[in-house]
Amino acid sequence: MNKEQLLSKLRVIITPYVQNEEGLQNLNENTDFIKDLEINSANLVDVILDVEDEFDIEIDNEAMEKMLTVKASIQVIEQKLKAK
Amino acid sequence: MIGNDIVDLQVAKEQSNWQRRGWLQKICTSAEQKDILSSKNPEMLVWKYWSMKEAVYKAHQRRFKLSPALNPKSFECTLVGKVYIDNSVYKTNTEIKDTYMYTIARISDKDYFSSVYENIADIRYEAKKIICQKLNTHISLICFEKDNNGVPTIRIDQKTTPIPISITHHGQYSAFVALI
Repeated sequence: MNKEQLLSKLRVIITPYVQNEEGLQNLNENTDFIKDLEINSANLVDVILDVEDEFDIEIDNEAMEKMLTVKASIQVIEQKLKAK
Repeated sequence: MIGNDIVDLQVAKEQSNWQRRGWLQKICTSAEQKDILSSKNPEMLVWKYWSMKEAVYKAHQRRFKLSPALNPKSFECTLVGKVYIDNSVYKTNTEIKDTYMYTIARISDKDYFSSVYENIADIRYEAKKIICQKLNTHISLICFEKDNNGVPTIRIDQKTTPIPISITHHGQYSAFVALI
């Protein structure tokens, strides 16, 4: 799976939790989930669970800590897919 | 050092399903899960612990100049209101109402001022109105600054030392707490 495919899957996952539509339209690697998309922090946990389900991976606490941006999330997903 | 967090209970119910498989395990330690599952009202304790974690996260991040992180499980809450993180312990007070829950976390016994608002457009403006009264200055001289980690402070007339302020917003509710 390449970066574009990962990004488009991630977009589908985060869309229901986004409170700033403009941020979603401009979604890119540097997008910050809280600052740019105004995703509620409790819903970030749902994003993590959805990512686990979608990619069939397990996200440990250490990896979860970083997942506040699109870039960091894609990195975590790539690492976990590689390790499968 | 200070931090706060407010949870609009109606909005929390709409936005989150705390009983979703895996959700509680990502947020709470096994001791916290035990507290929650043996509580008379598990849902209320979920949101109480959540707001304690968020409030302490803000105080802790400010104190040690930490980058943002999604690490709710690193903060261990107890039923008596103390929260443990790394080698620190924070005191918290949670105000529990029918429609919201509001936590203030702090490390010292310094005086603070806090206020909760329902349905206001601009919490920063409301906070400024109160701060200028308390500090006997003009509202136009007050500004809020955020550091690189997004942690806000109050500055008066660009000169004085920054004063810690923490602002929280969820659903219909907003609140601020400041060391003034």
